[in-house]
Amino acid sequence: MTLVRVAPPLSQDVDLSKTYDAVIVGSGAAGGMAAHVLTSRGLKVLMLEAGKKLPIEQELRSMQWPYDHPRRGDAPPGSHHLSFNEYTIRKPPYAKGAAFKHVYSYVGGWSGSDYVKNILVDEKDHPYTGTNYAWVRARCLGGKTNIWGRLALRLSDYDFKAKSHDGYGEDWPISYADVEPYYDKVDLYLGISGVKENLPHLPDSRFQRPSKLNFGEVKLRQSLKKTGQVLTPYRAGVTTDGLKHNRYRSKCYGRGACDRRPGGCDIHAVFDSPTGLIYPAMDTGNLTVRPNSIAHEVLVDKNTGRARGVAFLDSATRKSYEAKAKVVILAASTLESARLLLLSRSPQHPNGLGNSSGHVGHNFCEHVMGPGVTGLIKELVGKPHTLDDGRPGGFYIPRFRNLKDRQPGFIRGYGYEGNSGHSMFPAHVMDTPGFGGPFKKAVRDHAGAFISMGAFGEVLPRYESHVDLDPAVKDAWGIPVLRFHYQFSDNERKMAEDMVATGREMLEAAGIEVVGTDDKVLTEGWSIHELGTARMGNDPKTSVLNQFQQSHDVPNLLVVDGSSHVSASCQNPTWTIMALAWRSCEHLADEFRKGNV
Amino acid sequence: MTVTRREMLAATAAALAAPLVSPGAAGAARAAQAASVAPKFFTAPEFALLDQLSELIIPTDEHSPGARAAGVAAYIDGRLAESLEPDWQASWRAGLAAVDGLSRERHRKPFLEATPDQQVALLTELAAQDGFFGELKSWTVRGYYTSKIGIHVDQEYKGNVYQRGEFAGYDAT
Repeated sequence: MTLVRVAPPLSQDVDLSKTYDAVIVGSGAAGGMAAHVLTSRGLKVLMLEAGKKLPIEQELRSMQWPYDHPRRGDAPPGSHHLSFNEYTIRKPPYAKGAAFKHVYSYVGGWSGSDYVKNILVDEKDHPYTGTNYAWVRARCLGGKTNIWGRLALRLSDYDFKAKSHDGYGEDWPISYADVEPYYDKVDLYLGISGVKENLPHLPDSRFQRPSKLNFGEVKLRQSLKKTGQVLTPYRAGVTTDGLKHNRYRSKCYGRGACDRRPGGCDIHAVFDSPTGLIYPAMDTGNLTVRPNSIAHEVLVDKNTGRARGVAFLDSATRKSYEAKAKVVILAASTLESARLLLLSRSPQHPNGLGNSSGHVGHNFCEHVMGPGVTGLIKELVGKPHTLDDGRPGGFYIPRFRNLKDRQPGFIRGYGYEGNSGHSMFPAHVMDTPGFGGPFKKAVRDHAGAFISMGAFGEVLPRYESHVDLDPAVKDAWGIPVLRFHYQFSDNERKMAEDMVATGREMLEAAGIEVVGTDDKVLTEGWSIHELGTARMGNDPKTSVLNQFQQSHDVPNLLVVDGSSHVSASCQNPTWTIMALAWRSCEHLADEFRKGNV
Repeated sequence: MTVTRREMLAATAAALAAPLVSPGAAGAARAAQAASVAPKFFTAPEFALLDQLSELIIPTDEHSPGARAAGVAAYIDGRLAESLEPDWQASWRAGLAAVDGLSRERHRKPFLEATPDQQVALLTELAAQDGFFGELKSWTVRGYYTSKIGIHVDQEYKGNVYQRGEFAGYDAT
């Protein structure tokens, strides 16, 4: 087996007496990319990560059989994962008063919770308040990229210029042509798998070998083709051919563990920030990483109002430190970066850093999800079982609403993620009625004969959708927490109805019997695609950042994560986060060389 | 490692030889035997009842061994034994007691002493109600389809292996 087994770089001594060229807060997709670009241009960079550096392969154990785990994958007693019901009927902070020793977000769910217990934050230590929100946070090196869903999509000018298209919200200060070269760079540096479809609204990437479709998926693809619609193999942020320039990552071997657990790949064929970006950046000698470092304020120079560094606590010792740098780059996640800006109050910046517009924390948006359909492919009932899940994902049906048409009930659109075929656990078992011999045979005969898909829809950014600091509640380190003021609106609800009705039509048109529909909209936050709390724009009065994710107010402050997004699109954001971070950091490095920073 | 269906069948030949629905008392005796270690949470009679109920839900058939051979009762017993949720533990005791209670009401004998037909009829009655049956079935399928027998023999799952070359499936185009 030609698996890559290169140990991660050793932890380094951190010299806080010196002034770094840049300090990056956060080590996920955005922070990792900032580190990659800046260190490859020769800048000396310090990265602060609030969580631990985990022995991630031991956490993920991708190929462990359920029966080799004492609880078949579940976390030990005393650990609790929040359920949809709890998110719905209670209010945050959800762990308040809980009898459990540890409380985690819903991720992990059914027999996977033991693999994420050190990756997700304990809700008891990290409360938040306000409206219902399923906030999923991963505090460890690499953040959520350790367990992400891998769907790697580009945005198009239907997204960047959405206001020009339908009049709602704001256009981005950039167009697809500005970002396209950076999408290409991300594709080639990290690897992406997929099939070219030549769609103006979902541009193709520089794909490696695609995963294949199975019988039911081909059937649906061919049916959709008749009406000009597209079902394409999952565009996965996975290297299927391997990456010669990266010694920390193996190519994909189709082991099929990807959907069995909350995600994660212990051979790193799936992109994750540590092996994809951070370790190679450390190998340049220009990156120093300090884990266990909880940033709580961006420090500013009293005279100039410019950023001069970051104040942080060591999570183990609780000691306070300052990291000094010529440039501060926030990449702590959409919500944590907004929190950090709001926490950084000073006489020059009384409403929080970079917040002269009053837009920090506002225009918060994401994806609405939950609605979906399940169909039964009769031809497959009773057929021999095949290997169908040896791939990083099933299929994707790109947006088709409000491109040329105008829907009466809602603006913008949604795409479906789905799959068909066999999996290790026959998910239909609880929907199979009865018991005994006929029950057992029905489960066996129907295994692999289902196709299901669920939609991800664009949530409109609204000024009133926002987060601010709770005046009273603090986290385990004494830092004020976020308070949510955020709820789906009529546009999302109308869109959700269409997701179910249209999914049903698609399956029926393909001759697939619809055996289940889900019209339940999951709690706000469920998609883990939070965006837009420090949006880019050309007007400093209505935006926080310029087109290079640079603060309008504080030129040596950048926010390179999803908070910069002007609208949510319906395409999953990770690849765009990295393309934008690459573009901004290249610009920053150019300016740095010219002495403009 | 991969266990082929053939290997697994050979290993569980004894279980396969069992009749589709074990007769009451004999079944209970076998169950007690099967639980080579004493149950950690349930009493021996409770464990025997659970073992029989799980086997009724997922019985051995000509294709694959059932819940008894897959050790489903021991799995559920283990989870309950280490649980820190007294309400959940109590609900299982009460649920099993109610199964016996219904049997006594209908047939004046405990569930395990009822005939196979009576047991199926009792479980059918319980399945029609909201309550313990759902929990029982949920944990039985959870235990069974995550077991070696469930994954490899019954479902003949082929994944969780390193694939070489082209993966299974069809090209999109």
